[in-house]
This record gives sequence, structure tokens and C-alpha cells, in this order.
Amino acid sequence: MQAFAMGTLRIGAMLALALSASACGSPPPLDKQLEAVSSWTATMQLARDEHGSGAITTTYATQLRDAALAALEESKQTIGQAAHSKTDSSYAAAALDSLRTAIRALNAETGS
Amino acid sequence: MKKWSEVALGVITSIGGFLEVGSIATSTQGGAEFGYRLAWVLVLGTLSLALLMEMTGRLAAVSKRTYVDLLRERFGYRFFLLPLVAVFLVSFLVLASEIGGVSIALQMATGINFAWWAIPVALLGWVLLWRGTFGIVEKGTALLGLVALVFAVGALKLHPAWPAVGHGMLPSLPSDNRARYWYLAVSILGASISPYLYLFYSAGALEDGWTMEHLGVNRVTAGLGNVFGGGLAVAALIAAALVLAPREIKVDRYEQIAMVLSTLEIVLALAYLLAQGFGWSWSENLKPEKDARFATVYTVLILLAAVPIAIGANPLTLTNVSMVATAASLPVTVIPLLALMNDGDILMKHVNGWASNVALVVIALLSVALLVAALPLQLLGG
Repeated sequence: MQAFAMGTLRIGAMLALALSASACGSPPPLDKQLEAVSSWTATMQLARDEHGSGAITTTYATQLRDAALAALEESKQTIGQAAHSKTDSSYAAAALDSLRTAIRALNAETGS
Repeated sequence: MKKWSEVALGVITSIGGFLEVGSIATSTQGGAEFGYRLAWVLVLGTLSLALLMEMTGRLAAVSKRTYVDLLRERFGYRFFLLPLVAVFLVSFLVLASEIGGVSIALQMATGINFAWWAIPVALLGWVLLWRGTFGIVEKGTALLGLVALVFAVGALKLHPAWPAVGHGMLPSLPSDNRARYWYLAVSILGASISPYLYLFYSAGALEDGWTMEHLGVNRVTAGLGNVFGGGLAVAALIAAALVLAPREIKVDRYEQIAMVLSTLEIVLALAYLLAQGFGWSWSENLKPEKDARFATVYTVLILLAAVPIAIGANPLTLTNVSMVATAASLPVTVIPLLALMNDGDILMKHVNGWASNVALVVIALLSVALLVAALPLQLLGG
């Protein structure tokens, strides 16, 4: 049991180190960032539809918009570092543009 | 009649207690990214938790001691320090993420940033613990947790294809993104089989004065409560699979999930762990001056756990990390249970039968696999 205890403790310590390391590593690869941006674009579109049908409140829609704006700002900082070619850069720019458009559409819907 | 009302209350408590922030977050993420494919993990987690709760409840009802007491008495202090430290750390992380979840829910309702809610939520929780009894904490928060029934209503109204849901109950692998799939599987298992749940259940059996006459109540409560609670987690997964997955929305923040939470049980579970581990006087039914160290522990813990959220940590990231860490911590509480459940000096004729032992060995092997897999999966799929 003591050996089991020590072994488990060691693995636990390694896990704790890895968890800390994974929280402050380099920016994610381009495909992951594009996925995240496109996910937020879809979230904005869904929020606009749901707000239009009265399913969600303006307070909640505004919070979703703020979260999307934060994601947009973060992506603007990091997506350039992950884009290694002109094609990559144009994909990234298009994705960010789509998100901006979706945020504007939600703003128009909520009147903010 | 009294027994049946206990069973009904116990089942309701288990439903409300099962579906907390971790289960909602991980089930929704799983449904959004992999449709119904991860439903089998919820089934596995629910069955495992039901078995562990039945066993720790039986242990408490027969021996009149909690699982933590018996861990210390049978394996000695040196070994006991390992589960104490491991469960304490991961449960503390879970507590911080629960406070984050409540704070986010309040943000959704009021528009005021979640960070401002962390300290008031912690203070409100502390007042309830300080002034309330075990019954209020256990049943009150669990009844509030029943609001999570909205997931069941939502899933039914979305008219899922039930054969496809049934297919998801059988293990299957996606063609790509396997690291993420297994990462979410480990997170879901961590959320389902949290050690604090069965440690709290074992302490609760003593708080409620269970004896050997309650073994039937224990079996029904652990079984039905978890089946219904697991059913709600499956409903959250179905709702996400039908609303978020078709639009390719990944859940990156809690704002993308509508949710309901319970927090106080885990604060008590942590205070129980320390008080029972060190042999202090403990009971949520006692006045704070009668168990001062126990009351001090939950006072300090709930306030400390509010700090990460108050300084703006992303509650969803905190939840995911704490669920994976929880999954990794399982062996230290599951493997010793195998020895205790076969100890005739403690359980007399109520020791495990062969079927329970086979199930417990499978859960123990699963817990070791989770420990080994947690580290690489956090790096590859987290």
C-alpha cells in the first residue's frame, strides 16, 4: 500500500505540473483558433435568432455579445502568430470578419 | 411510511446533488462536440457512482463510522495522508468551480460580472452552513437543484431520435479528434464519480442516524437517485447535441450554457474529510461552538475557494481542470474500498458478494486508467 501511495503521489504531482503548464503554453494552432472563432460566430447567429423569437433576454444576449467580443479580441492577438502563409492569413481574416458581422447583427437585433 | 418518505427524499437529494456544475458543463461540451457519442460515458459514470455510494452507505450504516474514519483506522495515518491530500486538493478545485458556476448563473440573471458575485455567494453559503442544519443543506440545495429538470423537459421538446440516443449508450470512437473525445470522456467521468459525492453520502448516513435497518433505503436511494440524476445529465447532453452541435458551437464559456447549480454539499464534504480524518468533533447539526474546528474549516475553505473566481479566473476552464484532476484522484479512494468492503470485522454478513466485488474491481481498474490517461489527455485534448 505504501508503494502504491508513493507512486500515486508522484503521478499526482506530474499531473499538477502538466495542468499548470497547459494553462500557460503557446497559442493554439490555426485550425483550433478558426474553429473557436467560427463557434462564436454561430453562437452570435443563434443568439440573434433566439432573441428575435423572445427566447432569451436582452441582458443575456448582451453578455453573449461581450463574451464574443472578448474572444474576438483574443483571437486578433493570437491568430496572426498561428498563420504561417498568405492563405492562412486570408482564412483568418475572413473568419474574424464573419464574427464581427455576426456581432453587429446581434447588436442591431438587441438595439445596443 | 417514514422509510418511504426517507427514500423519496433521498432520491430527490441524489438527483439534485448529482447534476452539479461539472456534470452540466462536461455533458454539454460532450453533446456539442460529439453529439450522442459520449452518452455511454455518462451511463458508466452513473453506474459506478451508484455502486460506490451504495457501498460507502452500507459501510456507514453497518459500522456506524464513515468511510474516512475507516480509511484512517484500517490503513494508518501514513497511508491516510494520501487520500486526504488528494481528495482535499481536487475537492477544493471543484468547490472553486461550483462557486464560479453560481456566480455565472447570477451574472446571467443580473448582467453584473461573475467576479463580483464570488464573495457574496461564498458568504451566503457560509451563513447557511453556520446557521443551518444538515437537513437544510442536504435537502434544500438538492431541491433547488431539481430546477435542472428543465434539461429533461428541453430534451423531450427537442424530439431527439431515440434510436440514435440508444446507439450513443454503446461505446464508439469518432473518426477524428480522438484526444479531445477521450479528454471529454475523462472529464465526464471525473464529474460523475467525484469522491466528494460518496464521502458526503457516507457522512450523511451518520448525520441521518442510519442503522442496518436502512440498508434497503440505502440501496434504493443510491440506485434510483443516481439513475435519475444521470438521466438529467444525458438530457443535458441531448439538448447540446440537438441545439449546439448542428451549428458547430463549441462550449468555450459558461455564457453558452443555461444552468443550475449546488455548492454547499461540497463545502461540507471537505469539512467532513478533515474533521473525520483528524478525529475532531463534527456534525452540521451541532452548533458551531460545539464543533469549532469543523466550523472553522468550512468558514476558511468557502472563502478561499471564492478567490480564484473573484480575481476573474474563467469558471469553465477551472471546471474542466478540476474534473480531470478529480478523475485522476479516484484510485486513492476506490482501491482501499475493495479491502474495506470485504472486511468481515467491519461489515459482518454484509460484506460484498462476488458481483459487487467484480463491479468494484472494474471501477478500480477504470480509476487507474483515468489516473494514467489524465496527464496526456490534459495536454493533448484540454
